[in-house]
Amino acid sequence: MTSWWLVLAVLLGVYAIAVLEEWTMTGRIAPSAPLRSGLALLGRESLVPRQPDRVLFELAPLVLLIAAVLSLAVLPLAPGLLFADLATGALFVNAALAYVMVAVVMAGWAPNAPFALVAGWRFLGQLVAYSMLIVMPITAVGMRAQSLATSAVVDSQAPLWNVVAQPLGFGLFSLAALAVAFLPPFDLPIAPSELAGGVFGEYTGARLVIVRLGRLVLVLSLAMAVTVFYLGGWLGPMLPHCAWTSIKVLAVAATMLSTGRYLPRVTIDLMLAWAWKLGIPLALVNILWVGITLLLAKSG
Amino acid sequence: MQQVVAVVVFGLAAVVLGAGIFRTSSMVRSALSLLGSMAALGALFLALEAEFLGVLQLMMMATEMAIMAIFMVMYMMDPGGLGKMEMAHQKRVAIAFGVIAGLTGVALAVLPAWAPIVAVAPGPTLQVHDLGIELLTRSMLIFETAGLAILVAMVAATAVAIVRRRP
Amino acid sequence: MTSELLPISLAIGAGLFGIGIYGVLSQTNLVMIMMGIELMLGGALVNLVAFWRLLHPDNYAGQVFVLLVMTLMALDMAVGFGIATARFRAKGSVETEEAAELKG
Repeated sequence: MTSWWLVLAVLLGVYAIAVLEEWTMTGRIAPSAPLRSGLALLGRESLVPRQPDRVLFELAPLVLLIAAVLSLAVLPLAPGLLFADLATGALFVNAALAYVMVAVVMAGWAPNAPFALVAGWRFLGQLVAYSMLIVMPITAVGMRAQSLATSAVVDSQAPLWNVVAQPLGFGLFSLAALAVAFLPPFDLPIAPSELAGGVFGEYTGARLVIVRLGRLVLVLSLAMAVTVFYLGGWLGPMLPHCAWTSIKVLAVAATMLSTGRYLPRVTIDLMLAWAWKLGIPLALVNILWVGITLLLAKSG
Repeated sequence: MQQVVAVVVFGLAAVVLGAGIFRTSSMVRSALSLLGSMAALGALFLALEAEFLGVLQLMMMATEMAIMAIFMVMYMMDPGGLGKMEMAHQKRVAIAFGVIAGLTGVALAVLPAWAPIVAVAPGPTLQVHDLGIELLTRSMLIFETAGLAILVAMVAATAVAIVRRRP
Repeated sequence: MTSELLPISLAIGAGLFGIGIYGVLSQTNLVMIMMGIELMLGGALVNLVAFWRLLHPDNYAGQVFVLLVMTLMALDMAVGFGIATARFRAKGSVETEEAAELKG
């Protein structure tokens, strides 16, 4: 019974994020636009490039969608309202997000097209940049919660949200989340003006619908991860738990989708340099900071 | 019963995908087949109730195998596999050794009289907690050595692969 | 939870190990040999996890061993690819057939 409610909640969330994305790009709220464009795409011709790697061409959008859905499965909407309550939930989110990279690399290789190939390998470089910045803040969050289960992480924020207790981790995790979902300014794999659509530029018709759906679920899942790990999940004074989670997720998603409009695209050499020379030392400082505050709180 | 079925299915998937590495001539398909095999191993660990190890295996292997894919495309002569070159040598010796090793392993698995198996394992939450305690108290030296080994390997790999600037 | 689970898991580990040995001995390219090594270590990992879960689930030294083997899988790939990069820059290929300068 609860799983049907969860599926409905996920579908509503995905639709809401699609409307939000349309709003950040055009400034108008068009509630029926995602449905109309999805149906239009399904009706269009489905072109396949010459001599693709057929297996990988078909698999890549599905792997993207499945990875995004799996990472969503361990994040709670309310106490007890999640698909799979794993004891290592926080780590599982990261494991599922790693398969997003596998999907993008597959999609870069499969269509036998030069722009897609370049975009795919650039995303691998982007992964080398962001992967440590995704995991180390999760480590600090787990330290405070004394557990890796996502429900325990939310419960540990009852005195003080992690965004105030670990601001450095919040900043790094949010930036890394933008890089995972390849949203601008970290959108090297799709790079609309530079690489002619990049990795997913050769996909048309029904496959493009799956790609876009996968991307929306990925944005939803990352917004929920930021909410659960740093913004206190379902904690809040008056409204029911689901309402608080939804408000926070939509606010985070709107912020994630609109930051890119004001910043230029970050090239791969700058991204790697900043991530490894600046980001990882800051993540280690964050862990040190959290450790010191936890020991002081325990002894004080 | 479900657990036995899950173990058999994931184990067979790992073996079949592992064999598929050497049967395809496309390099990226080889690397992704190895990724599939390792992911099946991760699922196998989850089926054997080692939750932390399974999730860790899934996470690490995705990244490692994608990096292996890019290195294969860089260093192999025919990454697309359309040229149908013969990539193997001393095939019969290799098959013989592989079969001997595999059969010896299977014999060592099936023949001995193993001790009775323990039916109940600690729950996942307790496992994660106790593994952390174990790593930081009794196996601290091993943990630190592994960390030092990672640092040494990072420095060594960078030093070997860096381009010398001639002044 | 039947007692056949232990021989089944060990047989899976043995199968992976055998395929890994075939790969290491038959392939000429350094990267493919490293894939064979990964398969062999994967087989060892299956054995370790099976032994931990089915014979000694209270002793976490088994899980520490698995963590160490996973670390080593990553490390050997890292150093191996460093060597492959250096070799490729020097000679233009990483084939072992063409690396026979030290022979004889």
